[in-house]
Amino acid sequence: MKRLRLERWSGQLFTARSTPASIRPCCLRQQQAALPPRIRFSSSAAALSDDLILEDGEELEEEFSSSSSDTKYPSPPLEAAFNSSKLAALHARLNLSQKLPLHTMARTLVDPSADSNADFNNAALSNLGGSIMSYHVSEWLLCTYPRLPMTVLFAAAYAYSGPKTLQMVGKEWGVETAAAPGGEVDPGYLQFSKLKPGQGLQTQVGSIRPDSKSYYRRGMSSRVVYDDEFGDTVPKQAENDLPLPTEHAYASFVKAVVGSVYLHSGSAAAKTFVTNHILSRYLQIASLFQFREPVRELSRLCAREGFEYPVARIVSETGRRSRHPVFVVGIFSGADKLGEGAGPSLGEARTRACVHALKAWYLYSPGSNVRVPSEMEVAGAKEWEPVHIDIGEVIH
Amino acid sequence: MVVQGIRKATVGQNGVGAFILQCKRLDFHYCDWAGSSKGMNSFLRNSLTKFAALNPQVEITVSPRPRRHPVIKGTYINGREKAICVRNLTKEQVLQKAELLRDANGEKLKKVTKPVKSINESVRGVWSPYHDGGIHV
Repeated sequence: MKRLRLERWSGQLFTARSTPASIRPCCLRQQQAALPPRIRFSSSAAALSDDLILEDGEELEEEFSSSSSDTKYPSPPLEAAFNSSKLAALHARLNLSQKLPLHTMARTLVDPSADSNADFNNAALSNLGGSIMSYHVSEWLLCTYPRLPMTVLFAAAYAYSGPKTLQMVGKEWGVETAAAPGGEVDPGYLQFSKLKPGQGLQTQVGSIRPDSKSYYRRGMSSRVVYDDEFGDTVPKQAENDLPLPTEHAYASFVKAVVGSVYLHSGSAAAKTFVTNHILSRYLQIASLFQFREPVRELSRLCAREGFEYPVARIVSETGRRSRHPVFVVGIFSGADKLGEGAGPSLGEARTRACVHALKAWYLYSPGSNVRVPSEMEVAGAKEWEPVHIDIGEVIH
Repeated sequence: MVVQGIRKATVGQNGVGAFILQCKRLDFHYCDWAGSSKGMNSFLRNSLTKFAALNPQVEITVSPRPRRHPVIKGTYINGREKAICVRNLTKEQVLQKAELLRDANGEKLKKVTKPVKSINESVRGVWSPYHDGGIHV
């Protein structure tokens, strides 16, 4: 497979500010990318105009020449990234490679709600990092727990890479939020427009699903196709520059860090980063299940798999006629015991035993260090052996 | 949908996978005039650069605190602060205190009585009276 030249793509991250961004010629961007990264754009206009070659003879904006340019922009200028000890400390704390420069790190901390200019906020990095993160999380979940029902798989993906978790990750990295975004803020703070007290959350308008009516049933299979990695609908038009909850700002920051690691250090480094910071976190997947009809589901499972019909038998009991009886019920399929549960009544104990048996089935795992598809990207990888693929849920 | 997924969040285990140093910031406060800052001033002049270079993950600030004893303050990721007064200490002792603050995790000091703390469920399980053959009276 041909290697991707990521360093070429990352060159576009070194753009200097000029408005409007959308009409800037590409050739100008290339020139700026070739500059040494430590250049200070606001130091003097003369020095800059010597270095910059403008092919279409465009005049430089006055912004470059003014010395107090900090307050003009909605986010900190490029040079501030090199003077921020907070940002350098964060870079070192995350043990990031020197290939990842500080101004990219500063850019990951600027949310679109703070700076709507796509050249200076983390929207693109966060989009990239989010898909890399959800790819690694989902391939690990699918290969490690191949029998998880779709709903539980969505919940597990949410537990590993959902906004609540990513907010905790961002806070555990020691990132604080700026009181209000602005050009004068230290670039080591997370910048976004905060929701005002009492201000309601914006309700989602529409979705990208092709349903003509909002009340149409949203089945599991269609969620896989149309919805996001957690099974939630994707809004039709995302308004980027509106105030947003803190957890979403933290989530896009963490995703943007993953994206910038990918862009500057490559896919192997991004995978290691996701493994170390996201997949190493603790989750009991057995606690994500909620069964509605476990007894029926277990009998259907046995019928489907050709096991003998499951029978519930009392294993032991105490105090049947007392205030606190305890029954221990086992579920047997022929001579095999599928599960066991204890409860204060026979029905309750049987239900718990069924849940136990079903969890034992669904949580089958070929081992925690099973191979995942992304391991094939390494040069000289062993031949791929197909992983276990399950036929799916027992009852939909 | 007979099985439903419950939304939860994973719990971080610092050191499993990545390790994040819990000390975020160290503030060094000194006084130019008072004698109790002598060792601190010597530390700031001679050893601080090396200390900062060895610990890039800690943000370091130095600021005067006139007519007061010298203090090192550590700020931690859990939001707590720890301050140590380093009056009349020598340069080496100040360095020791700075390293102590750097290595601390910001929690209140507490007595550790059990060697292992774990959030994993017990492998052995809790003893159950119903699986032991019962007590025959």
